[in-house]
Amino acid sequence: MKEFLPKRIWQWFERTRVGRSIFRVGLPQSNLERAQAMVSSFLLHMQPAKVNRHSLRASYSFGLGLISLYLFLILTFTGVLLMFYYVPSTDHAYNVMKDLQFVVSAGLIMRNMHRWAAHLMVIFVLLHMCRVFYTGAYKRPREFNWVLGVGLFLLTLGLSFTGYLLPWDQLAYWAITVGTNIAAYAPYIGPELKYVMLGGNAVGQEALIRFYALHVIVLPAIAGFLIAVHIWRVRKDGGLSRPDEAGDTVQQVELSQLPTSKTYGLMELARGTTPQVGRNPEDEVFAWPHLIFRELLLFLLVVAAVLFLAVFWNAPLEELANPVHPPNPAKAPWYFLGLQELVSYSAFWGGVVVPGVLVLALVLLPYLDHNRKGVGRWFARDRVVANTIFTVCLVIAIVLTIIGTLFRGPNWSWQEPWKKPPAVTESH
Amino acid sequence: MNPIAPDKHVSRRGFFELTLGWIAAMFAVCASAVGAVRFLVPNVLFEPSLVFKAGKPEDFPDGSVTFLEEERVFLVRQGNTFRCLSAICTHLGCTVNRTGQGYHCPCHGSVFDDQGGVKSGPAPRALEWFLVTLSKDSRLLVDKNQRVNSDKYLVL
Repeated sequence: MKEFLPKRIWQWFERTRVGRSIFRVGLPQSNLERAQAMVSSFLLHMQPAKVNRHSLRASYSFGLGLISLYLFLILTFTGVLLMFYYVPSTDHAYNVMKDLQFVVSAGLIMRNMHRWAAHLMVIFVLLHMCRVFYTGAYKRPREFNWVLGVGLFLLTLGLSFTGYLLPWDQLAYWAITVGTNIAAYAPYIGPELKYVMLGGNAVGQEALIRFYALHVIVLPAIAGFLIAVHIWRVRKDGGLSRPDEAGDTVQQVELSQLPTSKTYGLMELARGTTPQVGRNPEDEVFAWPHLIFRELLLFLLVVAAVLFLAVFWNAPLEELANPVHPPNPAKAPWYFLGLQELVSYSAFWGGVVVPGVLVLALVLLPYLDHNRKGVGRWFARDRVVANTIFTVCLVIAIVLTIIGTLFRGPNWSWQEPWKKPPAVTESH
Repeated sequence: MNPIAPDKHVSRRGFFELTLGWIAAMFAVCASAVGAVRFLVPNVLFEPSLVFKAGKPEDFPDGSVTFLEEERVFLVRQGNTFRCLSAICTHLGCTVNRTGQGYHCPCHGSVFDDQGGVKSGPAPRALEWFLVTLSKDSRLLVDKNQRVNSDKYLVL
């Protein structure tokens, strides 16, 4: 049978001296080579050679973590491109936005993709967290990976928030003014924290360059590192969580229990919860091509979706930032509008206590939840209490966010979105 | 040290090496952290001066409340008395608007009376009053560093 032409070219290239120097193993032909491809390739070695069928089920994970990762990659790519034009100066930043819109080739698309991918990443990281909660996937031995995930969620919000200031329009200026003033309500260090964040008393040039440095290097570097650890821990903790099945009992062997009088190979020192331990061989398939194919397909879908949004909807850009005239109402980014709604009742309780307690509860959750049942199944009966508490908190947060986003008009007064807002009289 | 059978005994020299070593390491880490944080605290602010001249007293008609955009303050004249009220909402830093007899913040709806006191809304404190004096060249001089009570006037 005659092979597909590009494949024949590829196979010829693999056999050349140059090809063999680049690729340690060629396109796999046998099961042995399929396993080798994963282990001996730099780009693939994060992945297992074989993967449990349950982990491949789209209806279990919905690929939410992977989608978040892809959005991060899209954001890095478009963000670096935007950096070639962006100037973090109050005199130039806004003009650069206009240039990107009207002068730079594909500038509008890149900015739109960056903005929509950022919003999507907040949504998908949150959805990913909900998936992990509702399937009980944070339980032993995955507790610490949940904590890393909470850190990544906060980093996602931080990345989005710091990026919000950079266009230097009215939206940016007042969202950051409101946001940093919420931070100033933190006990003891609040005012100092705001002063250091802004590099002064008000949002200005110093604040812009600080947010820029955080947005383009500090937070992405930390997030990139944590993402790597997060994925690595998925492997080390035995792959995706799944329900216990017959023949699937995971043996947990502590290093200290091993006799010290003999020498060990590396395989013996690995923790007992690697995917290979006590597993039914028929439950597993080779990651190449079953996992790789699905991952590439999902990547294609995510890029297509972001591109679709970027082509049909433009990222918002308001007038040049004006410290004298706050827009009415002045709103924070949408994912903080639930907080802003709370803050409109009480800045200390809504801006400090509630978010502080929520974050602390999320971090401690895997250590507070002693129920070991219900791992690997959606909405397991054994977890009805935990699921109920989580759902109530989630619904409250969503309702508050919707109220803050859609139901708050001028002067932060109640305003049904389908009614025309009353005329606001301003006088100075 | 033998990794299989660790020596539990700590010698005097070992104890001091351990203690001093850890103290030195902790000191280095703390000093670096303090230095990094201090580096981020600005020593010079490139912001408009907090002390500014608002203009001649006769520029402000009797009974007027004038909004000075650049400085984000209201200059209040009643008869021959002058006061200066901050236009920055004490809640989350938006600029308040003058409405009727009082002030109103558009961001979260705090309402202040004409003395800056909170009438309703989430603002935790009254708007601030700043010290007004007369400069040598007979201009109103406002010092935003110096907060005063609402009953302190400059009388001319």
